[in-house]
Amino acid sequence: MADIAVSTRGLVKIYSNTVKALDGVSINVNHGEIFAVLGPNGAGKTTLMRILTTQLRPTSGEAYVLGYNVVSDGDKVRRFIGYVPQEFSVWTDLSGYENLLIYAKIYGVPRHEINERINEVLRFMDLSDASKRLVRTYSGGMIRRLEIATALLIEPEILFLDEPTIGLDPAARKMVWDKLTALNKELGLTIFFNSHYMDEVEMYADRLVILNKGKVVVEGAADELKRSVGGEVVELTVDDMSKTVHRVNEMNSLGIRDVNIDNDRGIVRVIVDNAEEALPVIITTLRDAGVRIIKASISRPTLDDVFLKYVGGKISEEGRLQEVRTLRSVIKKG
Amino acid sequence: MSFINAVVAFVELEARRIRYNITEVITRVVQPILWLVVFGPIMASVRALPTDGIPYIAFITPGVILQSVTFVSIFYGLTIVWERESGILKKLLTTPVPRIAIVLGRSSASVIRAFMQFMIITPIALLIGVRIVPNPLDIMFVIIIITITSVGFSAFSIWIATFMKTRERFMGIGQAITMPLFFASNSIYPINIMPPIFKAISLGNPLTYSIDALRKTLIIGTLDGLITDIVALIIFTTIFTLLASIQFRRLIE
Repeated sequence: MADIAVSTRGLVKIYSNTVKALDGVSINVNHGEIFAVLGPNGAGKTTLMRILTTQLRPTSGEAYVLGYNVVSDGDKVRRFIGYVPQEFSVWTDLSGYENLLIYAKIYGVPRHEINERINEVLRFMDLSDASKRLVRTYSGGMIRRLEIATALLIEPEILFLDEPTIGLDPAARKMVWDKLTALNKELGLTIFFNSHYMDEVEMYADRLVILNKGKVVVEGAADELKRSVGGEVVELTVDDMSKTVHRVNEMNSLGIRDVNIDNDRGIVRVIVDNAEEALPVIITTLRDAGVRIIKASISRPTLDDVFLKYVGGKISEEGRLQEVRTLRSVIKKG
Repeated sequence: MSFINAVVAFVELEARRIRYNITEVITRVVQPILWLVVFGPIMASVRALPTDGIPYIAFITPGVILQSVTFVSIFYGLTIVWERESGILKKLLTTPVPRIAIVLGRSSASVIRAFMQFMIITPIALLIGVRIVPNPLDIMFVIIIITITSVGFSAFSIWIATFMKTRERFMGIGQAITMPLFFASNSIYPINIMPPIFKAISLGNPLTYSIDALRKTLIIGTLDGLITDIVALIIFTTIFTLLASIQFRRLIE
């Protein structure tokens, strides 16, 4: 098997001839890595995953999973992938065991192996004790683990997870990720997941792409991307943001790499090599210029900063509204 | 092989769900029982309707059974739409099972529910004195008629569902479709006493052919003219299965 688990070239998906969900997406995912697609709602993450899992056909471009073309060799792809959709994928009026039993039969697991396989995935997901209970009585985290268990029944090579921890509390999120990282480390399973939680991507993904408005904004390892933003960040809450940006831009000597405004939070971010040294100088300069500083803080770069640099929060929000409106009118027309 | 295994798995799924939801099965037979036990005897005592010598309760039994079959078929044809709203349909599409097996397998839910109705209503009809034909050939046709009717109406509901994609819009639809279908048919009165306009509507109603076929095989015990009914049912079912399959792509996107 090739080293590349998933690759796409110039993938475009247009819904009903008007909504462009994907606009030329090219990515590569290596075997055995945890790969994240990060982006705001409506960026095209789910569409990309639905194409890779053979549910949708791309309008143009090519996609390969384990070397198989997802359109012409869809039946081969389906034999090696596990998939957990963002919504529910189990029947809540059956027990956990029965859900696994039905899925095992649908997947065509050989009859004499079914019981053993089910017990194995139940044990792995810590659901053995709850297996006889109706899924209706499960917590959100248990349902997610059961869904992952069903995806493991065919012993997949790649696991596709669409927003795996959406709506879960922090403890349940951690438990789900403990299981997923164990699958990745112990069984060498390739994991491909979508998320809009920066912290989750930062903590668990080996590599990621940021997707916005159907386009790949940037691809790389989390550390690499953070380094590309710069060393450290000084965050300032001030009474005059544009004047602040103007003044800080004039200070060349401090190793200032970038200055940007985060309108959502009403702060100015100054990206510098060494924030502790830069902060006093920045404060003095701004005070001299007559800018009132309400709050100042220092932080190390996160994927938030990467996102802000490459995407810019405000712009994507507007784009999203436009997109939602177009999508709604398409649905209305039926 | 995987095709058959998958369809059988879907049948098992439905059987297991029914086991946990017996109340639902019972509440669904309340209405047909009222038709048989209350409406039937009262109307029979009036002796107002020409039923060709068939006792009135026996006359309406096929209509009552098939109204119930139609209702559950239209209702459970929607299962696939509900599973589209949840992630189940998406997940099924990524399994190695052929897509046609998914559509057929999920539609089989309605056939199983339809037979549950039949198995409960028929003994009750027998208890209140309806005589049915115990001929194996006729019983075989009864099974075929119920199956085709059920598949046809669930395909019909899937087709309608592809236009109105949400559960909310569809909630009242079972009642809204089944009652007019029931009254615009030969279920509780013979067609030839209807005003011409309703007569024409009834002749375009697939339920009329199902009821006529079931009356012939279950109550009268004749195969005369059965072929017309069955051909009409096959045409109805084929058209809507094709329409549903063509439109199914819209549900996926």
